[in-house]
Amino acid sequence: MNEMANHLVKHMVRVAPRMSVRCASSSTPARPIKSDPVAIPEELPQELKDSIYPKIGKREIVGFGWNGLPTYVDRCEFPFPSIRFKETTPEILALREKEKGDWKKLSVEEKKALYRSSFCQTFAEFDDAPTGEWKSIIGLALMGIVVTGWCLIAVHQMAYDRLPVTITEEWKEKMVEHMVRQGQNPLQGVSSIWDYENNRWKK
Amino acid sequence: MLRAVTSRFYAATSAALRANIQRTCAVQAVRYSSHVKESDEEFDARYEAAFNDPNTDGWLIRKLMNDLHGYDLVPEPKIIIAAMKACRRVNDYAMAVRYLEAIKLKCDKNLDKIWPWMLQEIGPTLKELGIDTPEELGYDKPELAKVNVFDIH
Repeated sequence: MNEMANHLVKHMVRVAPRMSVRCASSSTPARPIKSDPVAIPEELPQELKDSIYPKIGKREIVGFGWNGLPTYVDRCEFPFPSIRFKETTPEILALREKEKGDWKKLSVEEKKALYRSSFCQTFAEFDDAPTGEWKSIIGLALMGIVVTGWCLIAVHQMAYDRLPVTITEEWKEKMVEHMVRQGQNPLQGVSSIWDYENNRWKK
Repeated sequence: MLRAVTSRFYAATSAALRANIQRTCAVQAVRYSSHVKESDEEFDARYEAAFNDPNTDGWLIRKLMNDLHGYDLVPEPKIIIAAMKACRRVNDYAMAVRYLEAIKLKCDKNLDKIWPWMLQEIGPTLKELGIDTPEELGYDKPELAKVNVFDIH
């Protein structure tokens, strides 16, 4: 117990300069016994065992993870979570036995099975794989634009006054005719381009 | 146990801090930060030694790898070779493949330049230990599709 404490402290001080005191907290699970992967390690106090083990089932605690809690998440910045992904079954235990021998003797399926027993998804799957999220983004954006369009039409119909009659083409033509008859702006404006002799616009 | 750990922790760090402070007080012309910057070789040597130490178990190897992954660098091939041998020592194949994938992530935009060189450097060790690269296992492309947990409502 004492050498474990020494060992832990020596490594904390020497190995990682960005260590914080959180590693010395009492909620850090102690390291499990290497030889027996399924056994609940006896160094853990009972209250810790009661709080951890119902939640993670029979999965093996293998490390500190990122905050000392026994959770599994695939994170690209912390490749190694604190627990394995799959619960330890007899098949997996058999694979672990084979793993202790020569790795060249493992087949590709066995290697993949070993990987999947420890990890949920590969980096290619959780990090780089296309999610198709762009479809929902574009769809929702377009739906938003359409709903805005409806709101604009509704407001236009219900709230705005109708356009005044002075905007119609007939009114505007009549207006120009009156301006010309009155001789408005004879030097540079509308009357200057009306041909009064021939009663038409100047060519 | 907690008291023993924390008291030793504080004893160790406060001794180191006191030594540092005495060093900085002695030289007044030059300004040092309280943390003396270690060189690249010391950094490499420290991690290589930690991986090669036969006392490091799976717990500490994962911690070392997680920490190394946090730095803004691609680890030197000799550190990776030491890490692979450490994985072999604790009989954990998945850890080795996972770390190779993590290195590929560290290469990021320069993957085409760095990864072939890296494979060339660590290739002999991988062959000797029987570790497949992620490409050989088919893990450079997605194999299983799972719904992202944040999309499950």
